[in-house]
Amino acid sequence: MSQTKPMNALTLGSLILGLLALGVGAFLAFTAPPDANQGHVYRIIFLHVPSAWVGLVALFIAVAYSVLYLATSKPHYDRVATAVIEVALLFLSLTLLSGMLWGRPTWGVYWTWEPRLTTFAILLVVYIGYFVVRSAIEDPELRAKASAAISILGAVNVPITYMSVKWWRSIHQTQTFDPTTGRSNFDPAMLPALLVNILAFSILFVAFVRVRSLLAEREAVRQEMSPQAG
Amino acid sequence: MTLLTRIFWLALRDLTLELRGRTGLLAAVFFLFTMLLILGLALGPNQDDLRKAAPGVLWVALAFAGSLLAGRAFGLEVEDNTLDDLLLVPGSREWLYYGKLLFQLLLLLIVGGALLFLTAGLFYLPLSALPGILVTLVLGSIGYASVSTFYAGMLARLRGREALLPLVLFPVVVPVVLASVKATASLVEGLPLGEVFNWWQLLLVFDVIYVTLCGLLFPYVLEG
Repeated sequence: MSQTKPMNALTLGSLILGLLALGVGAFLAFTAPPDANQGHVYRIIFLHVPSAWVGLVALFIAVAYSVLYLATSKPHYDRVATAVIEVALLFLSLTLLSGMLWGRPTWGVYWTWEPRLTTFAILLVVYIGYFVVRSAIEDPELRAKASAAISILGAVNVPITYMSVKWWRSIHQTQTFDPTTGRSNFDPAMLPALLVNILAFSILFVAFVRVRSLLAEREAVRQEMSPQAG
Repeated sequence: MTLLTRIFWLALRDLTLELRGRTGLLAAVFFLFTMLLILGLALGPNQDDLRKAAPGVLWVALAFAGSLLAGRAFGLEVEDNTLDDLLLVPGSREWLYYGKLLFQLLLLLIVGGALLFLTAGLFYLPLSALPGILVTLVLGSIGYASVSTFYAGMLARLRGREALLPLVLFPVVVPVVLASVKATASLVEGLPLGEVFNWWQLLLVFDVIYVTLCGLLFPYVLEG
């Protein structure tokens, strides 16, 4: 029987550091100069872009853990992959919500069926499906395999969602940083606020995933001790 | 026997069994026919309305029929206890996936062809769009079959797989079905070929990625 581990220094540290960075990020976000066209409304970008970035990058991290699981069949990797996707889904929902709140004053609507929004909605559906599948399969090994496959195949949508604003004519503005040209479409005066917020979200992401995997591990240990209780 | 001939023989054997048994194909085509009649009745009889609905109808019907057919990929193997014999063939197991994929693709194309014929008649599809739709059908079917075969293999021995298969299948094939719908819709509206080409490109990218990834992952998820 494995021993339950207490929350370690790294988890606690990243949680505290993340919250501190979030505070600094919020301060910078509210003191950055207003946008020439949008005024103060644009400030939602400091929530929208970091959560999108962290959420999308997280899906690739989940792919790495899913591949590790398929290669080694260690339940630990399955638990971490699920934790990563769970937290990623949280950030992606935040992206969607902040995007809708931003869309209303700038485009006049909360939602429109244009490429970026549509591909993003598909992405969310795929990963919500991930959890539906997990809840439907009882055998832990098969559950881990099936969900690993969804995680790997689903990540195909990430670059498509990301590039959709370039590939199709879209109402959504283009990427803040364009990796194909290495150019930034962002005013240098507003840049520190964005970068600090991205950093804060990344640290918080690590903290959340660590807490979630710890919980999952404890659940697994309890299940092992009394299979009927689960 | 080289791997390629092995793949062809497996697909040929399954197709022969399917055509002789007929239950799977007949069920799928009959289901589609019923569905088209219901949708035609609900959305018609205005010609323009029907034509506008046709791409959605075509792909929703094919997606449902595909989930019916997906179980056929490994259904007979499990019923007849022949899956173990296949697994005993020495060497790596990717060929098994590609053989089954070819079989599923041919099934989907047969059903899709019948479906296209019926939809074109019942929903007034313009004749000039048909060659383009046929290309979309092939590209979309490859993407669909690649995922459905993969999951059918993974769940082959599981009880209650018929209920579970659509559940795991749909989240992953949604992008393929949507791209196919958009390509078909652009064709029916008579948009310039450049517009359609973007969607074909996307479908092709999906196909290549899914077929490669599923083939690579298949040996890991197959039981036994």
